[in-house]
Amino acid sequence: MAQPQSGMPPPAYLMEMFQKLDKDQSGSITANELQTALSNGTWTPFNPETVRLMMNMFDKSNKGTITFEDFGALWKYIVDWQNCFRSFDKDNSGNIDKNELRAALQTFGYNLNDATVTTMLQKFDRIGKGTVLFDDFIQCCIMLNNLTTAFRQFDTDQDGVVTLHYEQFVGVVFSIK
Amino acid sequence: MANFSSPMPSREFLWDVFQRVDKDRSGFISSDELQMALSNGTWTPFNPETVRLMIGMFDKHNRGTVSFDDFGALWKYVTDWQSCFRSFDRDGSGNINVSELKDALSSFGYRLGEQIVSVMLKRFDRFGRGTILFDDFIQCCVVLHTLTAAFRQFDTDQDGYITIHYEQFLNMVFGLKI
Repeated sequence: MAQPQSGMPPPAYLMEMFQKLDKDQSGSITANELQTALSNGTWTPFNPETVRLMMNMFDKSNKGTITFEDFGALWKYIVDWQNCFRSFDKDNSGNIDKNELRAALQTFGYNLNDATVTTMLQKFDRIGKGTVLFDDFIQCCIMLNNLTTAFRQFDTDQDGVVTLHYEQFVGVVFSIK
Repeated sequence: MANFSSPMPSREFLWDVFQRVDKDRSGFISSDELQMALSNGTWTPFNPETVRLMIGMFDKHNRGTVSFDDFGALWKYVTDWQSCFRSFDRDGSGNINVSELKDALSSFGYRLGEQIVSVMLKRFDRFGRGTILFDDFIQCCVVLHTLTAAFRQFDTDQDGYITIHYEQFLNMVFGLKI
């Protein structure tokens, strides 16, 4: 996600956003508050797994909530993903088809064959139209990144092939966020 | 789960339960309706992933809902998991700790080391107390079952090791119904 980077907005703007999200005015944002605030461009709820992934990423105090201190980074993260998504959604359909997904992954440095991209698309194609929505696109990319990191840890000679014991395999898949 | 098999109840009984779960009287049970009908023993909502896994298992027509025809099998599945869970929850705490989980998995035929069982528990430990609830226990076992089946497909010589290319690995993991 190196390309479409946004600048950090002024604190006053962030505070206003934060207060709008913090519906119960508790001083921190819960996963539910974040989920309600986010849109995937359809009337379906924002993918709760993506919300959980993002919460974990920015919840420094590990309380399952986001304080105002962490909010700026979270805000920037979401806006960057939005810009990234829009830049690959060439036909402005609000979703990404297989070619757009392959192009996005190529930009991130993943040269994957057709079968793999198809499998990924199928996993995240929520409404069965051969496309991926914004929220699922984020989850898809984070999962690919985590799987690749896990694979590389085993691929010490970097030949793209690993030998895994059953327990190592179970451990890898259970640890994927 | 063979030891925990309960007999199929009468059609009348099932119809009675089905109608109570089918709140909007559509003749089908949606994942929301099933989620509301199920309890994990706390006031937290039943794990939506487990609900999705179960609907997926018994939804023969691939409509995301369960009809009365499929409901008996679903009812039996949930009931069998309940008796299974209770039998491993030795201290009757309503949740399962790492040693109870290890016992449960070895009774299913999985021989897993302490460390890997801890990794699995951590994945589903919702409150950070080193325990898992009924709904997460089901998800944990179903995921392990799916993973093991996927592993076995690659482990053709059955030596417990697979050698796998990066893209095969991605295909395998993204292709898992978990």
